[in-house]
Parts: sequence; structure tokens; C-alpha cells
Amino acid sequence: MTPALEIHDLTVAFDRKPVLWNIDLMIPEGKLVGIIGPNGAGKSTLIKAMMGILPLSSGYVKLFNQPLDDIRDRISYVPQRESVDWDFPASVLDVVLMGRYSKLGLFKRPRKADRDVAMECIKKVGMEGFINRQISQLSGGQQQRTFLARALAQQADMYFMDEPFAGVDAATEKAIVTLLRNMTAQNKTVIVVHHDLQSVSQYFDWVIMLNTRLVASGPTATTFTSKNLETTYGGKLTLLTDVADLMRRENYPSREENIIQP
Amino acid sequence: MNALLEFLSFSDPNIRYVAFGSVLLTASSAIVGAFTFLNKKSLVGDAIAHAVLPGICLGFIMAGTKNPVALIVGAFVTGWISLVLVEFITTKTRIKEDTAIGLILSVFFGIGILMLTVIQKSGNAAQSGLDHFLFGKAASLVGSDLITFSIVAVILLVIVFALFKEFSLLAFDKDYARSIGLPVKGIELVLTSLIVLAVVIGIQAVGVVLMAAILITPAAAARFWTDKISVMFLLASMFGAFSGLSGAFISYTAPSMPTGPWIVIVISTIAFISFFFAPNRGVISRFIRQASIRKMINNENVLKILYQLGEENRNFFIPRLPDEIIRRRFYDKPALISILKRLSRQGYIDRTRNLWALTEEGKNRAQRVVKIHRLWELYLTTYMHIAPDHVHEDAETIEHLLTPELEERLEQQLGYPKVDPHKSEIPYGNA
Repeated sequence: MTPALEIHDLTVAFDRKPVLWNIDLMIPEGKLVGIIGPNGAGKSTLIKAMMGILPLSSGYVKLFNQPLDDIRDRISYVPQRESVDWDFPASVLDVVLMGRYSKLGLFKRPRKADRDVAMECIKKVGMEGFINRQISQLSGGQQQRTFLARALAQQADMYFMDEPFAGVDAATEKAIVTLLRNMTAQNKTVIVVHHDLQSVSQYFDWVIMLNTRLVASGPTATTFTSKNLETTYGGKLTLLTDVADLMRRENYPSREENIIQP
Repeated sequence: MNALLEFLSFSDPNIRYVAFGSVLLTASSAIVGAFTFLNKKSLVGDAIAHAVLPGICLGFIMAGTKNPVALIVGAFVTGWISLVLVEFITTKTRIKEDTAIGLILSVFFGIGILMLTVIQKSGNAAQSGLDHFLFGKAASLVGSDLITFSIVAVILLVIVFALFKEFSLLAFDKDYARSIGLPVKGIELVLTSLIVLAVVIGIQAVGVVLMAAILITPAAAARFWTDKISVMFLLASMFGAFSGLSGAFISYTAPSMPTGPWIVIVISTIAFISFFFAPNRGVISRFIRQASIRKMINNENVLKILYQLGEENRNFFIPRLPDEIIRRRFYDKPALISILKRLSRQGYIDRTRNLWALTEEGKNRAQRVVKIHRLWELYLTTYMHIAPDHVHEDAETIEHLLTPELEERLEQQLGYPKVDPHKSEIPYGNA
């Protein structure tokens, strides 16, 4: 069986300061995966790095055993809701149609068929009553569902979602989880950054526990243990943080081969 | 007046050139500028505008004449260099973007003015009119210059049209654009080049000093009127075109007057009007909305008091004096009378001289308000564990605000309770 996702020795640095250290992990296809960890653990950074939105300082990411750029049309992204300015002049339909842009390519306008797909995805997330609503007029949960519909409209095989349950009421959360379950039942892989530890074992088949380095990754039943939780949340590795700060202050490259000799 | 008629008749071919040219230049600048506005990069536009001045001088020195192609190329080059420098300073040093923009803007503009002075002192006869680039002069837009600038404007519009969906996506959600594999860097490069070009052609009409106004203000004004991006761009181009036309008119009637300041005054007036009078987003419209909410709250509060008085007597329709209402809750008497009059006009109250009584409709409306008030108090005490003596104030606001759907959900969630935390009965419709 080929893994849906394989990461080897992944390190990511901001302004030379490493925020993720040497991550190795593998995720099988068709799983609902939760990424958990304390604030500043690098959860969002990890999924952004997986999708190539952030540059890697070292290591590689393979999706479906291929480099990222060859299979971009098979992945889909739900960014954090707060990452965009919702006062943008656009309607729900406009945003969901963006999910079709990758299929359309440059210069082309969305066609009738793209509209059909968008409408169908809007229905799937239960937003059909708000198709032409300006996006700033939506509640937090509705904005989140709009983003979800946009990701669905990509008709991808792997979904990366950054805190899709933030600011969402309990009923919507349940509906979204059901939707994600249906997707994994169709052998799609869904990777979710998650905050609420209580629901982890109930929602996810697979869990990635992160705290600037990988603590554990594996099936929830065997991995989501109190020992691993303690390692993940049990205080920061202060030495690691201090070394990272030092690298930033001293303008050190995070990998030696990047140094160009004069 | 005659001058205006003469201008608007477009009988003089010169006027046609100037008017057509100004409209095209300002409208295309406004359209490109709308993306700087949506990208929240308004200051960048200003930096580019100032940074093209040395390029124009350089172009002039190279060509020896005011050849528009040489000027455009020169301006394009220094405009771009300024952006690269801003980017370099922000990424490679600890200096933040606003400081970098301020630095680059003033340095480039200073060099530009220096070069301009040197050229003017050089005695080259061809240089006359070069200083029009400072504050703009629409009337100098004639002949072959106009053709060159118009071609550039049309190219701008075509590219914006072709890449409209990509530009909008980048302005809304750049990370997402990266995730779907859009060549973000390349598209940004194109957009930045367009902005530089828009500045280069716009300064003919507006001048470098005030160029930022024609880039940003039309879009900012248009945003007040609409939530649709296509309409916003249409309006921005129209606002830009109108200000360009009026600038051309001023330039025609008062040749010694620089065009830029006039264009800026016109476009700012449009922005000012939009700010105040636009429906929904405008200040006045917001004010009216708030006033009508206050009115509604006053109405419902008075109805509620009449209802509560009725509860005590077990008869809701007893005619009452205004003083009875004031005893329950203090009102300025004339204000109360005017509220009562309004309610009687709306059919919620019957008036017999100085006696006021609820109508059936008035009672129903008051009952709904009272019901929501008490349900909300109960909700706060049961679900949020707030002490019963803290919940009244909160419920005072919620009672006017709740939509029928939320009202129904509240009833269902609480299971149609009989009494509130203060043991007052919760009244349901016809039950």
C-alpha cells in the first residue's frame, strides 16, 4: 500500500528560527487525521509546509508517492478562518467558485459546469440559503462552512484543514465531522489541525502529536495515550527554543550546505 | 458656462484628444489601483508614483527630447527599482515596510527633483513642460504622445481583464492561491508592473505628487456603494473617468492651472459623498439605521410597560394616563407622549383624549417582548449560570433584537418553561 503522505526530515524556519525540527511521518490513505499540540507547536506550519506554501529548510514531502508539484490538483486546503479579511467584496458563491480555479487554469472564467459543482458543494455544507450573501455578513460558523465548500469544490483526494472547528457551534461541528467521515469513507484523506482534546478519540482515526518536533504519529487508539499527551503538552523544551532564538539572532542558516563559500 | 458648453460639445479636436486621453488614463489607473486598494498596499502606489520622477528625467536625458516612449521606459525602470528596494529592505533588515516605503519614496523623489532642476538649468529648449509631470497637465496630452499613452492604457485594461480572477484571489487569500499551485510570484510581478505602468501614464494627467489619489481614492469611494467586486471596479473606473474629465476641463479653461490638484479635489469630493451618503455603508445610512432601532426600542418598551401594568390588573386593555407609565419607568413626558402618538398611528394603541390603551395587536407585540425577556433571563441562569439578579440588563437588549427563528430555538431548547427566574409567568402566544 502506498502512503497518502510521506514526510522525511522536514525542518521549517521562520526568519532563520526553526519552528519545526526534523519531522518524519507517514499517513495511510483514507484516514481522518488530527494534528494536535499546544499553541506555537507548529501545527499550522506543518500543514502549510506539507502543501509547499512555506519553504522547507530541509527534507521533502511526498504525496501519493509523488512530488507535490505533480499532484497539486489532488490536494485541497482550508485555511484558518482568521487568515483572510472577510470584508472583501465577494459573495458565498464567489468564494466557493475559487475552488474551481485550479481546474480552470489561468485567464479562463468559471463556466456553467463550475457553477453547478459550486452549488452542489454549497448544498453539502448546508449553505444554500446564503448563496448570494456578502461574506462579511456571515457568522463565524457560516464563514467556516463557506471555506469548506470551496475546498470540496476542488474535488481533491487529500484535504488539509486548519482548525475547521474554530468558532463553530456544536451542531455545525457535528455536521462537518459527518461530512469528513463520508469523505474518508470514499478513501479521501483528511488532515485536520485540531484544538479540542476531548473529541480527538471520537473524531480521528489517526493522530499526529506535535510540539515543534514530532512526539508521535499513528492510529489514535494506540497513539493518543496519556504518556504521549504528557510529552506533547508537558512544558516547552526550553533548550530547543533558546537554540532556535540564537540561530535567529546570529543569522545562522538552518542547514550547512546553504552556506556559500567565498 | 460657455466654456463648459464649448468643452462638452467636443467640437475642438484638441478638446476631444485631451478629454478622451484624461478619461482613459484616469480610468485605467483607477482600475489597476483598485487592486492595490484590495491588497491593502495603498502606500506602495504612493511610493511608486514618487519614484518614477528620476526615471522620467533619466528618460529625457537619454533621448534628449520628451519622447513618450523614453519617458515611460525610464519611469518604469526607476518605479520598479524602488519596489525592489522596499522589498529588499523589509526582508533583509529589521526595518518595517512603512519605514522602508517612507525612505525610498523621499530618496527617489529628492533625486528626481534634483535631476529636474539640473535639466531646467541646462538651457535645453526641449525640456519645457517636463515639470508638468510634477502636478500633471492634461492639456499637454496631444498628438502622438496621446496615442502612446492610450496604447499603454489599453494594454493595462486587457491584462487586468484577462487576469481578473487571479488578481482577486490573490487579494483575498494568498495562501490558498499558493496551495492550488497558482504562480503567485509571477502574478504579483505582473500586477506590480501594471501598477508601475498605471502610475507612469496617470502622471500625465495627475502628476507624481498626487498620483496616489487617483490610484486609491476611486476604489475606496466605490467600495462604499457595493459588495460586488465587478460593480466596485466599474464604479471605480467611472469615478476615475469623471475626475479625469473634470481635470481636463479645468486644464482647458485655465491653462496655467495644474490639473492634478483639481482631479484630486473632484475625486475626493466623490469619496466624501460616498462616505456620507452611500446606502448601507455610508455614515448617514448607519445613523438612520441606529435612529430607527432606537425608535423601535422605545416603542416596544412603552408597549411592554402597558402590558406589565395590565398583568397586575389581569386586564390588558384598561386605558391609562401617561403618568402611570412614568411611575413604572421614568420618561420625559413630552417624549413619552410622542412615542404614544406614534404607537397609536401604527395601530398598537387606542387613544381617547389623554387615556391610552393597548389594542389587540399592541398586546401581542408587547407579549412577545415580555416573553423573550423572561426566556432569555432563564436561558442565562440555566445555561450560563449567571445569578438571577444579573440577568435583567442583558435581557433588556435581547428582547428587541431576537429574530423569530432564534426565538423558536430558545423556546425549544428551554422546553417552553412556565416561569422565569424571578417567578414571573412567561406568556406564550395563544396558548
